[in-house]
Amino acid sequence: MSSRVRVSLANLAPARGASHNQKRVGRGQGSGYGGTSGRGHKGQKARSGSSLRAGFEGGQTPITKLFPKRGFINQNQKTWGVVNLERIQHWINQGRLSSSPENPITARELLASGCIHNAHDGVKILGDNATELKTPIYVVASRASKSAIEAIEAAGGKVVCKYYNELALRDCLKGRTDRVSAAPTRREDIVWYGLWRNRGFMAPKTLKELGDLPFVEERWKALSQSLNVWRKQHYIDLKK
Amino acid sequence: MLGRTLAESFSTLRVQCRAGASTSQRCMASVARPESVIPVAQPVLLDLTPPLKQFKDQPRAAGNVVALDPTVFNHPIRRDILHLCVIHHLDGLRQGTASTKTRGEVRGSGAKIRPQKGTGKARLGDGQSPMLYGGGVAFGPKPRDFSTKLPRKVIQMGMRVALSAKVKERRLGVMTQLDWPCAKTKFLNQKINELGLRKTLFITGEDNVAIGLARAINMLKSVSATTVDKVNVYELMQWERVVLDVKAVEYFERTLGKSVPIAPLPLVAEAVESTSPEVVA
Repeated sequence: MSSRVRVSLANLAPARGASHNQKRVGRGQGSGYGGTSGRGHKGQKARSGSSLRAGFEGGQTPITKLFPKRGFINQNQKTWGVVNLERIQHWINQGRLSSSPENPITARELLASGCIHNAHDGVKILGDNATELKTPIYVVASRASKSAIEAIEAAGGKVVCKYYNELALRDCLKGRTDRVSAAPTRREDIVWYGLWRNRGFMAPKTLKELGDLPFVEERWKALSQSLNVWRKQHYIDLKK
Repeated sequence: MLGRTLAESFSTLRVQCRAGASTSQRCMASVARPESVIPVAQPVLLDLTPPLKQFKDQPRAAGNVVALDPTVFNHPIRRDILHLCVIHHLDGLRQGTASTKTRGEVRGSGAKIRPQKGTGKARLGDGQSPMLYGGGVAFGPKPRDFSTKLPRKVIQMGMRVALSAKVKERRLGVMTQLDWPCAKTKFLNQKINELGLRKTLFITGEDNVAIGLARAINMLKSVSATTVDKVNVYELMQWERVVLDVKAVEYFERTLGKSVPIAPLPLVAEAVESTSPEVVA
């Protein structure tokens, strides 16, 4: 874009297409907006200061009122960023993803490699075409389906489901390790992550099976002890 | 490389980055560090302008060259960005005090001027209607703020483009120091004419323009002096020539420079032997 003419205040112009002339109504027929200025002839809409409220259909029951309200919205609902095992295997084959006991596959690796496009409220590993999975992988995800767990363990890998709240997930995705991620507080989560069948990170059997693997955190053992107390607690029968 | 060809052509060439120790660190920071990165940006080499007043501790201008950051001083010319910056500046200058009275503000009673029916003329209400002579203005101007917002980074790019345009047109100079100790306007005017620096804006990187220079330049219409924080794109476009001092160059490179690997300047034999505090990147 070099020019022989000096750049000065006299030869500055906006980029082509960057500016557009304003539409000015009521300024003659040649403009295309003269006369009735784009309002047509008479009627409520042609009057000054008039407009109909949004959704008004002239008195006919509007579409927003025709049908009854239904149900409620569950505030605790989670949308999982799902990924099937065959996709993970395909990524490993391409060399875009790798896992080891020191560096397991987490939401961060899946997002960075493009295996998932959005982590949403957490990552869930699903088992579509699970027979494709041949390599042993080490996965730490928010959730995993039953068939995914079976397939990963059949291939010789390990899967742990860890609780991530919003902040903890964000830290995981950004690679921040300075903060401690929060323990689950809701009863549903405490119960879910304490079960071996879900491979929950607080289930005693999960921790026993994992043993000494590098990605297992000390905190999980402590949480397992403190948050599984309810399993041994019973109501005292006062009648006896 | 450019530096090497310059070294061959000038026997006394000493490549000077900037005066002062702190600048050498800045110089090093702009050099590509990892082996895998291949620097493509070449620094802009500019002859030093002879100073208004040569001080003993400052290096001579003859045969000395200053190396400028290409991301600031060799930016692609974007006239549309300059246009945005200039329009934004001028919008902010508008006083916006044009005012008219509406039919509600014009002094007068609300009484109906003539009966609704029977006169054979048009129906009229009060005497302040915009249809009538002496009535209010319909949709006339009211005092308002014409200033617009422009993203900070667009303004920064505008500064880079403006400085680069000046360098490209050979209308930018760098002096080692901007001062006029004797504070006499007559002699300053003579010196400026000798150097051919009429219609020049002197930009100093100090907190204030040196008091001697400020006083002497005050009455001269064709030149002006200012500090780096007061400069804007419009001023750079207005003035035909711009002369910076070394501190001003440092300021612009610090605030506007992009962290892009820049090719290092070649070592020149004279530079290693000389005593003045130049640093080769």
